[in-house]
Amino acid sequence: MKGYRKYFGKKILWFVITFIAALLLNFILPRLMPGDPVSMIVSKQAQGLTEASAVKAIYDNYAREFGTNRPMTEQFVTYIGNLFRGDMGTSFSQYPRKVADIIGDAVGWTLGLQFPAIIIGWLLGNLLGALAAYIRKGFDKVLMPVSLFFSSVPAFGMAVVLLVIFSINLKIAPVSGGYGFDMIPNFSWNFIMSVLQHYQLPFWSIVIIAIGGQAVGMRSMSIYELNADYVKYARFLGIKDRKIVGYVFRNAMLPQVTGLALSLGTMIGGALVAEIIFSYPGLGTTMYQGIKMADYPLISGTTLIITVMVLVATFILDIVYGFIDPRVKAAQFE
Amino acid sequence: MKNTIRQVFHSPKFVVGFCIFMAILLTLFIYPLLNPGNPLQMIGLGTFARPGTYVSVYDGVTSPFSTFKLPQADANRLDSLLTTEDRVNMVNWFSLNGVDVAGLDITDTQAMIALWKQHFDPAIRPQGMTKAMRNYYIRLNTSILGASSADALVVSETDEATGEASEKSKITKTDYVNVADVANVVTLPLGTDNFGRDTLKQLVAACGVSILIGLIAGAVATALGLLLGLLAGYLGGLVDDIIMFFTNIFTVIPSFVLLILINYSISQDQRGAGTVALVIGLTSWVWTTRSVRSQVLSLRGRDHVNLSRLSGHSLPRIILTDILPYIASYVVMAFILQVSSGILAEAQLSLLGLGPKTTEVPTLGLMMNWAMLYSAHLNGSWWAYFPVILVIALISFSLNLMNTGLDQVFNPTLRD
Amino acid sequence: MSNKILQVKGLTTKYVTRFHEDVYAVDHVSLEIEEGKSLGIAGESGCGKSTLALSLMGYYFPPLHYISGEIMVDGKNISGMKPDDVRKSVLGTEIAYIPQAAMNALNPTRRIRRFVEDVILAHDPKADKKQISEMAEARFAELGLPASVLDRHPVELSGGMKQRTVIAISTILKPKVLIADEPSSALDVTSQKMVIKMLRDLMEKGYIRAMIFITHELPLLYNVTDDIMVMYAGQIVERGTAKQMVFDPIHPYSRGLMHSIIVPEAGTRGHKLSAIPGTPPNLKNPPQGCRFADRCQYVVPQCRVSPIPMITFDGTRTYRCGHSVAHLREVYSHDDA
Repeated sequence: MKGYRKYFGKKILWFVITFIAALLLNFILPRLMPGDPVSMIVSKQAQGLTEASAVKAIYDNYAREFGTNRPMTEQFVTYIGNLFRGDMGTSFSQYPRKVADIIGDAVGWTLGLQFPAIIIGWLLGNLLGALAAYIRKGFDKVLMPVSLFFSSVPAFGMAVVLLVIFSINLKIAPVSGGYGFDMIPNFSWNFIMSVLQHYQLPFWSIVIIAIGGQAVGMRSMSIYELNADYVKYARFLGIKDRKIVGYVFRNAMLPQVTGLALSLGTMIGGALVAEIIFSYPGLGTTMYQGIKMADYPLISGTTLIITVMVLVATFILDIVYGFIDPRVKAAQFE
Repeated sequence: MKNTIRQVFHSPKFVVGFCIFMAILLTLFIYPLLNPGNPLQMIGLGTFARPGTYVSVYDGVTSPFSTFKLPQADANRLDSLLTTEDRVNMVNWFSLNGVDVAGLDITDTQAMIALWKQHFDPAIRPQGMTKAMRNYYIRLNTSILGASSADALVVSETDEATGEASEKSKITKTDYVNVADVANVVTLPLGTDNFGRDTLKQLVAACGVSILIGLIAGAVATALGLLLGLLAGYLGGLVDDIIMFFTNIFTVIPSFVLLILINYSISQDQRGAGTVALVIGLTSWVWTTRSVRSQVLSLRGRDHVNLSRLSGHSLPRIILTDILPYIASYVVMAFILQVSSGILAEAQLSLLGLGPKTTEVPTLGLMMNWAMLYSAHLNGSWWAYFPVILVIALISFSLNLMNTGLDQVFNPTLRD
Repeated sequence: MSNKILQVKGLTTKYVTRFHEDVYAVDHVSLEIEEGKSLGIAGESGCGKSTLALSLMGYYFPPLHYISGEIMVDGKNISGMKPDDVRKSVLGTEIAYIPQAAMNALNPTRRIRRFVEDVILAHDPKADKKQISEMAEARFAELGLPASVLDRHPVELSGGMKQRTVIAISTILKPKVLIADEPSSALDVTSQKMVIKMLRDLMEKGYIRAMIFITHELPLLYNVTDDIMVMYAGQIVERGTAKQMVFDPIHPYSRGLMHSIIVPEAGTRGHKLSAIPGTPPNLKNPPQGCRFADRCQYVVPQCRVSPIPMITFDGTRTYRCGHSVAHLREVYSHDDA
């Protein structure tokens, strides 16, 4: 038990440290750039605005929100204080909406899309990788390069290809959005069906890539485990092959949990860009709009939320892994 | 060393990956020689010209004619005249007017035309048909009759002074021009993009720039990762603690987010391809640091390193002769992976609108970004985006294959 | 009259390498063990002794392949049986195995109790889990292992404890013959002693009826086993009682092997293999005549002509050499002087 407590304690400590680091980076990076961040933002904002008073108004508004006229430390305190009150500032492109509200609307879509997609991609990928390692021969010879190829396709590319095939050519899936453009979110049957229809393509574009990547990893892991000494020993004790294969795949799959935790950032990043292709109403599209409209508060807010999502997911995976794989405990005593 | 390389080239995975990558590189060098010119030059007006060979109509008309009477000519003309949509509309007209269409194959142009000529009457006004639709059918009928008649087209010239048109030549349906006689013929294997630029020429240039971005990013990340990993692993103690502190933090904070924040903070006109590559490299060193450190840690206690240390060799010498050769394979593998992820990172950034500035050089990401902004995927202009996706996937695939091959050579437990 | 519990006749097996080459690591090996006796097998690494251990199990899977020969356990021929019958009614119950690398022999993510259940259920699918648990606890206690071990994961056990657990699991079904492949090489001296003691206990308490102990550490064999057999290049080159083999080895290879160990001068421990110059022959293509010829200091041209048969002398001892026992003894006494 002591081992677990130590493990969790360490993980929690690291979670807090990385969280603070993420906040700091989100705060400092735009302020590190040469020049006044507010005038930089305003110059982007004010492109096309000729009226001096309008530019001045924008400038004042941001100077107040950023507090650029005060020292850095004080700015940071204000920033943190606002954050903990759930205030991420006001969006410029969707004025006067608060960034927190916009993100609040988007977060559910992204979570609902990416969480199941990544989990299912992980499970299917592991299954295929395990089968490839066990069956070998033809199955492996075909599956391996195919998986490797799919894992090499960028998520947005997969999104475009699926979109063109199923929406444009076969016309069996909607082209864009998270639900019918003529609908207002509610809990009617029609709306749910529409959401499910719009869900298919973004979902599968993430799943297919995840399957490819995980299958490749699981295959090598399984081959490694199949050659392990305990397999030979269990065989010589007369244990059935089927049972031993069960051991092997369990043992190969557990480290894949960590593998998932480590590749999570990249996967989520790719999937966020894929959202843009479908104009899916999640964080990726929101961020894209922020970038297109030079809406700094919105960009800052979305990147922070994405970071926090990745941090929390990684933390949960680490904790789960500590529970389910006894090998972690041993590593903690070293 | 020589032996290692021989072993590496015995791995089928590595060889296939290497061949794909080399084929891509070779194309990058050879294609511009065959087809020189600025890839960003807008050669066409209008967007998304389809792939194919374009013949100058003017030069065609002024070239010498030969006469051929080919039996299939009329049928071919009608065949290309009638789009699938026209055919569906014709069938609609038939069924609205009580013509039996059972067993009619809409790809059978002759049967369709025969049935049309037999039944169509511009005077008939089927109930519920809009005026626009009726006019469409009349236009369709005119062009069908025109295509099967024997009339010639007249080419006329306008007198600049008087503004009067005078007949210059007649073109009949049996007139043919030898393509070799036409002065201006241009082949665009991948058509043009939204700005009327030659897509293939641009793709080749973009591919080169993207690979260069990947190489720079990979080199920066590998160099930084190697340096930090060596220091952390070999020196240990406080240096190790500090380096690992930052490494652990940046392992969890997604580099994707850092890239967005940093690139957003650099204004667009300062964001050249080199800068973007540098930023990508600076945000992706963590993995190399980790694996190099753990390798060095296990090497540090080995006899040959201890012997070297006891003999009073300097730190750089120990690292160069006793440590680097042992971790070289890992470093090469890490580099290959980082080149591939660097290319991908550029593409994703460009799609978000945070890629290199658009005026200097094309990159795969920028091409993708333009194609998406101009809805190439929605209007059927597959040549503007699909080759880009395919090239990114192929580069990445070839690099991943090489990496897997190397992995199997250096980790014998993974061998087949 | 003594009962021969294990009889092996002309057993030949091969390894197939990654490059599809055949390696005949066990070449016409014959041996027998009487009830209650133990046999040590010694040899350099790569001589085929570990492959012999695997081959004796009668259960083959790639890269190891059975070619010919007979294995009789307590009068029952197991070499012609179907693999699944061998698995069910031989492995663990007739012959049991203790692997070379016991450190990694246990599935790291399975509690010992679950694994013991798996072993027993594999042979008796109807066994009651509660009874299995009780039996396992009693057996572990009897062998000096705390019952708490059963509820541990292998990673939580120390090296010595893990090895003793492996031994307890291997013998849980009271196998007639136990084959131990270097069971103590990786352990510290205290743990080694505990392992040896445990193996002796198993014999005394009747949980096993015969044992084959494979090692390259010869002093250990002298203390542990009744008989010693020396293996070279896939063949047995000599067999005798432990005392005979240590103090009066006849085959030049046995002599070289024993000599380098028996007189432990400072610094020779780590270099015992270099005591015999040269390396063993390549088993992909073994030499026609005596396989030791290239390294033997008493070699004569005749040695290389044809295979050397096993010769019996002094009533019970056997050896494989072209020279007569008398000749060899004379040469040796000359050398020693």
